[in-house]
Amino acid sequence: MRRSLAIVAVAALALSACTTTTGGTAGSGSTEVVVAGTYPIDSIDPHGPQGGGTGPQMAEQAIFSRLLRVKPDGTLEGDLATAWKSDPTASEWTFTLRQGVKFSDGKPVTAKDIVDSFKRFIDLKGTNSANFPGYTLASTSDTEVVLKAPKPDAAIPRKLAVFFVLPSGVTANDTAFFERPVGSGPFRLERFSPNEIVFVPNEHHYGGAPKVSKVTVRKMPELAARLTALRTGEVDIAWGIPDDQLPAVQGESSLTVQTVQSSAVFTMWFNSSIPALKEAAVRRALWQAIDFQTIIKQLYPQTGTPSEGVVSANTLGFVKQEPVRHDPAAAKAALTAAGFDFNQKLRLQFANAEFRPFNQAVVSELQKIGVQVDLLEKEQAVFTKDLLALNWDINFQQLSNPTLDAANTIGRLYPCAAKRNGYCNPQLDQLLAQAGASADEKERVRLYGEAARIIWQDAVGMFPMAVKHAYAWNKRLSGFTPDPNGLPSFAGLQVGS
Amino acid sequence: MFRVIVKRLLTGVLVMWGAASLIFLIVRVAPGDPVTILLGTDASAEQIAELTASLGLDRPLLSQYLTYLTDVARLDFGRSYLLGQPAMPEVLERVPATAELMLTSTAIAVVVGLALGLLAGSRPGSIVDRIVSACTIALQSFPTFWVGIMLILAFALAFRMLPSAGAGTPAHLVLPSVTLALPFTAIVARLTRTSVAETMGEPYIQTARSKGLTERQVLAGHALRNSLIPVVTVVGLHMGGLMGGAVIVENVFAWPGLGSLIVDAVSNRDYAVVQAATFLIAGIVMLFNLVTDLVYSQLDPRIRLDGAV
Repeated sequence: MRRSLAIVAVAALALSACTTTTGGTAGSGSTEVVVAGTYPIDSIDPHGPQGGGTGPQMAEQAIFSRLLRVKPDGTLEGDLATAWKSDPTASEWTFTLRQGVKFSDGKPVTAKDIVDSFKRFIDLKGTNSANFPGYTLASTSDTEVVLKAPKPDAAIPRKLAVFFVLPSGVTANDTAFFERPVGSGPFRLERFSPNEIVFVPNEHHYGGAPKVSKVTVRKMPELAARLTALRTGEVDIAWGIPDDQLPAVQGESSLTVQTVQSSAVFTMWFNSSIPALKEAAVRRALWQAIDFQTIIKQLYPQTGTPSEGVVSANTLGFVKQEPVRHDPAAAKAALTAAGFDFNQKLRLQFANAEFRPFNQAVVSELQKIGVQVDLLEKEQAVFTKDLLALNWDINFQQLSNPTLDAANTIGRLYPCAAKRNGYCNPQLDQLLAQAGASADEKERVRLYGEAARIIWQDAVGMFPMAVKHAYAWNKRLSGFTPDPNGLPSFAGLQVGS
Repeated sequence: MFRVIVKRLLTGVLVMWGAASLIFLIVRVAPGDPVTILLGTDASAEQIAELTASLGLDRPLLSQYLTYLTDVARLDFGRSYLLGQPAMPEVLERVPATAELMLTSTAIAVVVGLALGLLAGSRPGSIVDRIVSACTIALQSFPTFWVGIMLILAFALAFRMLPSAGAGTPAHLVLPSVTLALPFTAIVARLTRTSVAETMGEPYIQTARSKGLTERQVLAGHALRNSLIPVVTVVGLHMGGLMGGAVIVENVFAWPGLGSLIVDAVSNRDYAVVQAATFLIAGIVMLFNLVTDLVYSQLDPRIRLDGAV
């Protein structure tokens, strides 16, 4: 007995002694920055099957360069390319390459590296390569590469924001390379473990080496742990902070908190292929029956605003639409006039428990006018399979658009051939084809605006909320810019002013 | 003894075959498939067909199963679809972290549970006994993830004593291992309490007392050894349950072990990793059961592994 108690006492003492190592702020007094990783980073191969995930992309943009990238304000900027132009048909794009760029091992980045990387990107068939079916990239000189598309594609520059350049010769499943990857991004990889990924400045970066000595992205899937670590100073930067936690974080004097307009829009498609939802009048009436303004105010007071369009306001191609006025009496009358069967149960599917309250509120609103809805919360893998099979009546998704170009959402999801929501409109198809082929940006915005008006008025779906991302970072940091896609760059970070 | 161990190991091969077959079937019967996850929602029918074929998922289930069994016999579980690496090394890489967590938790549970059980069992019906019993019922009732979050809020946020999550220092181990240990501590404490209370009424304990031994000597020298028998059994058999708890705890505390890998693999339908991890866990649990039986037979000479009592 005495021995047991002695063991417990010794263990307790030993454990309490351990607390001195991590009890204080993780990065205070140093130029190291610790980031609470919101998404899993299981791979840093930008061309592999996981390469297109949000977590991997955040790591990839630290280590590797791209031809072009999208800035937080939604505009494009050159990375390895300094200029780009298309032929009049928007099917052949020429990129002038930045000179003097070096990989982290000191070797120069060449046109061949870019061409070989594109080939690897296409050959490995990662998720992002699906945006480039039949596309080819070739070098015309040491300073120029040309991308050819099988049909006109004005969105190519923004699509290329997910194409990362590796040195020539990296093979598929090249474990040795990705243990010590060589890239031309602002950082080098120091360590990659299941728990964290550590970057150090790339001294050869063309824009100059970052000012911080180290950036550690620590995997922290649990929100309570993430926010506690932020508040205690164990981590310096976190984002994806939900509304119910924001006041506590905003109350911390050591933190800067900012919400930024993201590219995401809550999108609730109707399955237009089923008889009950075939008529636009029915779909519009259902939209009209829901008091989205109140739901948003209650559930997302700081990170949600009523959406004014099919895509977010910071997306190229956004055009403001006429708000749908909440009027349950008019909605019920319209449904009755359209012969809507109130005995039929509609299936509303969504994935991710985070969206449960929102969808529950929607169901409740529809019940008020006698529309019955079965709420189906599905695991992501099941949700995706059912989504593609149109095995749903109403589908909820938070649709993000990393390229901040309407081509990636309106142009991709709403043509008849996409078969994503059972809606098919030849007039819309024509507009989308014209928008996709036009190299004139103003014309593209106009055409996507026209297309969005049809989608909105025909209530292909409901577009209730534009999403903001809430970021918080330690005040000891400067140079941090929140990103609308949850992919912030750490290249400009400094400790102190 | 040697013959018994060999016999048990041979039976274990059958158990492992059963476990491997069951998990093969379960992951394939579960809705959702890796191809959709890997290609995303924009893949063409041709791309889907091509990837399905390259992963061998277009073949008849029986053919997939036979190939799988042949590979398993060579301990080759194939490549992880998502990580692009052979599955078993990825799984094995995570084992030390989970082992560290489980062993620490077991040590805490055994030491604290035994101490509390002895304390309560030696004075049945006393105020100490009632307090220990109430606490152990409470500890068993709280959901693990909730306890984890409460401990984070108390010891990381309010008292700023310990890190909230992660790994790397002994301090990082405290909260996850305590969280994982708490329900197990309650089980050990309750079992020890009952066992000690029963033992204290045995005639040989009366004899020991009549010989003039102090209560402490009676407890330590006579009651404890006999009370340990059911505790050892429970500790050994509870390893599977502890592994299940580790899955939750590792996610709450961002502990880089097997649990978080399995959660990611299951949600992404990464068959190779799920199969490799499950096979390994089944093997570990089977070995623990064998070791438990061996220890049990050493603690109680009346028990013989060949079945003779």
